Amino acid sequence: MSFFELIEIAWQGILENRMRSILTVLGIIIGIAAVIILLAIGQGAAYETQKQIQMLGSNLIYVRPGAVSSASVSLGHSSAATLTYDDVQALREVCPAVGDAAAMYDSALQVQNGANNTSTRVSATEPGYCEIRNFHPAKGRFFNHSEMDSYARVCVLGDTVATDLFGDDADPIGKSVLIRGELFQVIGVMEHKGVNQWVDNDDVVFVPLSTGYNCLFGTNASTGKAVKSAVITAREEDQVNQAQFQITNVLRLRHKIVSPLPDDFTIRTQADLMQTAQEVTQVFTVLLGATAGISLLVGGIGIMNIMLVSVSERTREIGIRKAIGAKYSDILSQFVIEAIVLSLTGGVLGIILGLLGADLIGKLMHWTTQVTPLSVLLSFLVSIVIGLFFGIYPARRAAKLDPIVALRSE
Amino acid sequence: MSPLIELRNIVKTYIVGGEALNALNDVSLSIEAGEYLAIMGTSGSGKSTLMNIIGCLDKPSSGEYILNRRAVQDCSEDELARLRNETIGFVFQQFNLLPRMTALRNVMLPQTYGGVSKEKRQARAEEVLALVGLKDRMLHKPTQLSGGQQQRVSIARALSNHPKILLADEPTGNLDSNMAKEIMALFDKLVAEGMTVILVTHDAETANHAQRIIWLKDGKITSITRKDEPKTLQ
Repeated sequence: MSFFELIEIAWQGILENRMRSILTVLGIIIGIAAVIILLAIGQGAAYETQKQIQMLGSNLIYVRPGAVSSASVSLGHSSAATLTYDDVQALREVCPAVGDAAAMYDSALQVQNGANNTSTRVSATEPGYCEIRNFHPAKGRFFNHSEMDSYARVCVLGDTVATDLFGDDADPIGKSVLIRGELFQVIGVMEHKGVNQWVDNDDVVFVPLSTGYNCLFGTNASTGKAVKSAVITAREEDQVNQAQFQITNVLRLRHKIVSPLPDDFTIRTQADLMQTAQEVTQVFTVLLGATAGISLLVGGIGIMNIMLVSVSERTREIGIRKAIGAKYSDILSQFVIEAIVLSLTGGVLGIILGLLGADLIGKLMHWTTQVTPLSVLLSFLVSIVIGLFFGIYPARRAAKLDPIVALRSE
Repeated sequence: MSPLIELRNIVKTYIVGGEALNALNDVSLSIEAGEYLAIMGTSGSGKSTLMNIIGCLDKPSSGEYILNRRAVQDCSEDELARLRNETIGFVFQQFNLLPRMTALRNVMLPQTYGGVSKEKRQARAEEVLALVGLKDRMLHKPTQLSGGQQQRVSIARALSNHPKILLADEPTGNLDSNMAKEIMALFDKLVAEGMTVILVTHDAETANHAQRIIWLKDGKITSITRKDEPKTLQ
């Protein structure tokens, strides 16, 4: 019996019970559509996160000093266990793959404008910071090298801080604020950057690093100008790994760390961040997919149920077919194929509904939804597997029927 | 030449409620090719069981059944299916046509399972439908046909894969006397053309068409009547 004929027989069986078939298929349609839509939402979220990270610049490298408690003391380093301003200058000068570097020292401090006062993150950094982070002033300007060299008491406010201190519409440029009781002149307000990963990028005040050491933070007795972090760019995007390698070596040399002792600093690249974010969104996607998978399972059980009903209703037909020479495998494949045709029809319709649904939800909720070809292919295959899995038991029951008993039924 | 059907000491035992019941008890019978045979008996006599065994729908509990030189009792389920497909054509009291298929497709079904190509199958189906006089109705579904026509379709189906034996179970049981006559005339014609026909019936008039009548009672053959011999009805 040819495959085409089996499909034809199965299709006839399905058409004979139109209403019942439609309801059965509906279970699969909903299941598959749910899988497609929820995976599209998960993928969309992953894509969105990736895009946000990429917006920060994909050649960024972050260096932080290692944890004080673990590394330095036990390793017996007498001096520079932490990252210093000089380290960062050295990285900029020595490493060929490093484009620019900005040392940062930030601390939560009180900032005041008359009666308005806010506790915010004060970041002391270098003038190159703007370019490195691709984060620019919307009004006024960022501080320059001469202000850095002259310990100028100037500051640039983040968008949130500007609003908190001066209100929505006021122009703070040229006005003065008190940072930890010290007077600073506002020379710029940064552009709006928004919130990402639970950090408000606009709740910040930038001051020159030199001024920061001089009148806000002071310097460390043993290491001199310690920095909390450094933001570094690779010269080219494909030089991130090279830059990371060079930074590691220069810092180990400067910190006199020899093998096999571990680094006393950590380096994070955008790729690492991306990976972390991807892991998070992957968990998210898997959870969504699993939820949808359950509805698909229920749909599959529906198919099994209907196939069992169908087998008992058609017992006599099975008896006739067996009497005129249908083998075990003929009956088995007839019913398995019927189940597969049912679930595959549901699968294809579900994919179409899923594509439309993902698009609609994306538009209604303003979410990024992304249907990947993989999820479509997967749904297609899963619907075949469901037909096979849930069809095989009823089909075996049909194929095992005794023809004499089957002929006598009804 | 060995007979087409050779039953030797066939016993069929069913377990009913923990007790063994012999539906057939030591039945031996041989049937030559081209014979016209009737198996008669009241209900419970074992004639259905005998028909199921001859038709390879069931296997004997003990004894030997040689069908067309094959030992049926040793066959697997699939081999039985193949034997039914190639050797036997069934005609049932209930016609047993598939209701959603046209007469033509019903008749094509045995050869479908026999693996014959679609063109050949269709040609053969049209040929046998013409033989039973229903070529003009071959695209009708069973429900659109009269009882007699349905039974003729079912005979056409039985003939479609060139069987050695036609096995008819009460073929006229659901038909009025005119239609019954038509059907029996068709069997007579088939025998005249060389077909082996076995009728299973409790109806004497139907059985009288046969050349030999086997009487069954309580799972045993009680008498055998030949047309050319005087009748020994009970």
